[in-house]
Amino acid sequence: MSKKVLVVDDDPDVRLFTVTVLEQHGYKPLEATNGEEGKQMIKEDRPDLVILDVLMPRESGVRLYRELKTDKKLKDLPVLILSGIAEKSFLRSQKALTEFGGDPIPEPEYYLEKPVEAEELARTIQKILG
Amino acid sequence: MNRLLLIDDEPDILRVLSRSLCADGYEVLTAQNGKEGLAVFQKERPAIILTDIKMPGMDGIEVLKAIKKQDEDAEVIIITGHGDIDNAIEALKYGASDFINKPIRDEALSLALKRAEEKIRIRRQLKEYTVNLEKKVEEATRELRRKTNFMEKLIRSSNDGIVATDERFAVVIYNPGAQRIFGYRAEEVIQKMDAASIVPQELLASLRQEPDQGDRDAELPWQETTVPVRDGSRIPVRFAGTLLHEKKKVVGSVLFFQDMREIKRLEKELVHAERLAAVGQTVAGLAHGIKNILHGLKGGSYLVDIGIEKNKPDKLRTGWDMIQRNIGRTADLVMDLLSYAKEREPEYERCRPNEIAEDVGSLVAEEAEKNDISIQLDLDPAVDEAVMDPRTIHTVLLNLVSNAVDACIFDENTGKQWQVRIGTARAGDGLIRFSVSDTGSGMSEEVREKLFTSFFSTKGHRGTGLGLLVTRKLVEEHGGKIDVGSTPGKGTTFTVQLPERPAEDQSLKEDKPQHRGEEEKDEQKSSGSG
Repeated sequence: MSKKVLVVDDDPDVRLFTVTVLEQHGYKPLEATNGEEGKQMIKEDRPDLVILDVLMPRESGVRLYRELKTDKKLKDLPVLILSGIAEKSFLRSQKALTEFGGDPIPEPEYYLEKPVEAEELARTIQKILG
Repeated sequence: MNRLLLIDDEPDILRVLSRSLCADGYEVLTAQNGKEGLAVFQKERPAIILTDIKMPGMDGIEVLKAIKKQDEDAEVIIITGHGDIDNAIEALKYGASDFINKPIRDEALSLALKRAEEKIRIRRQLKEYTVNLEKKVEEATRELRRKTNFMEKLIRSSNDGIVATDERFAVVIYNPGAQRIFGYRAEEVIQKMDAASIVPQELLASLRQEPDQGDRDAELPWQETTVPVRDGSRIPVRFAGTLLHEKKKVVGSVLFFQDMREIKRLEKELVHAERLAAVGQTVAGLAHGIKNILHGLKGGSYLVDIGIEKNKPDKLRTGWDMIQRNIGRTADLVMDLLSYAKEREPEYERCRPNEIAEDVGSLVAEEAEKNDISIQLDLDPAVDEAVMDPRTIHTVLLNLVSNAVDACIFDENTGKQWQVRIGTARAGDGLIRFSVSDTGSGMSEEVREKLFTSFFSTKGHRGTGLGLLVTRKLVEEHGGKIDVGSTPGKGTTFTVQLPERPAEDQSLKEDKPQHRGEEEKDEQKSSGSG
């Protein structure tokens, strides 16, 4: 059975692109348009990978990533961050949240900055899911 | 002054009279004939001369003439024979002060002397008084001249333009400061121009209408306005005026002008610099927007590639659509950025704001209908015509109305009756108020604070984050202001107040090079997103 990959992004173009790449490589794509919806689907559909945008209306990727990594049941779910925000800026905002009183959380293992080539995106997904 | 000269050819009379006069306290000089008398007079200069009229050689009349020739003020009393009235009259004709008859009676003599002394005293007093007066007038004149010079220098060296008029408002004082503002030379203005030709009519009228305060001068407080100057343009000034009163009548006016060109220019430069800084500071925000667009373009071309390789027309179609959408986003971003960074002077013309509002309403009608949003127009017929920049109105309204439609589309409360209302109204003081309200999602305090900062967008991929910045810039360039009120969950109202330019300022437009309007027309298109 093909592995399920959840794409969380508010931009329909990004979702369409990522979903097409996933389909071309035999994965089963799922879509969510914001962090809140993404969280819901992670709990209900149990995907094998989450591809997460950072800047979104209604619960950003910064928050969702934090929630996933501090949730005992979900902290091992692999997350690939795909964003126009540079990795440095993402890490800085996570650090700020930690200093603000949160638990320290691991850095994302997989981070791709938009724009990304289809091949590179596919290669990264294959590396994560084997 | 008790010195007198006595001239008589009869030694007895001379002796008796001088003795009697000495007894009366006079110092008496004597001479026995006219010639001798004249010599004594020249030497001693007595103030009073008593002379017999009939003398051998030089007679009394000749003595009188000679003395009067030398000293107009000498008091000459003639001693005449009894009943010699003809000679007495002749003597008076030549300037004798008095005459007494022989035989000389003491009372007559002392009366004549008293009168002469009195005349001398009065003359001396008058002289003193006149000299004094002249001196005082001279001093006062000098002081006045000094003060006038000081005032003139003060007026001349004042950096402010100072114009004073007489009671008929003809200009009488016009300083170099005024010349720097108005461009006319003093000789072209003084007594030749009327205050009405340099001060806006309504200001002069309000100065004239200041409530009568008796002898207190009516003052018009400082205010900003523009004045027409020699080259036909208008320049910004701060203006104050005083209507001068004297005995409850207007005697003139003084008008003060402060040149605001430099200040306005600096203000403008500051705004421009701030804006460029905002653009520069947020290159990171801009980069994010560009990265997303590039990502969309790559995604689109990937889909097109698959469509071609695997001969799938639907993939080809979606890929191509995606490319087109992202080209559109590129255009929006670049246009917003350009119109935000670039300075633009409003181009005033007679236009129909209500028609522009209707046009904007029809532009979003399709999108609104698709999303169950009703568009309402609430247009004041008093705004049918106005002298404003129609392109500013159009861009501003389109941006705000598109935002309002988006606020309804983004609203999660699907049970609502969504509505976007576009309103126009006259707000007094030559201001026209445009309002755009929606019943959409509303904004939190946090969002409202960030509204006019660069690259802030709640629309995720859909906004450039520049729409409201562009809107505010256009409003400010038109001399207006923009306000926002919002309640989360209930909706938002944007209010824009723009001043109408008075019709007589229309001439300004013709001075502008014609090509400018063409050049900028394209740059005023905006994505209508905020």
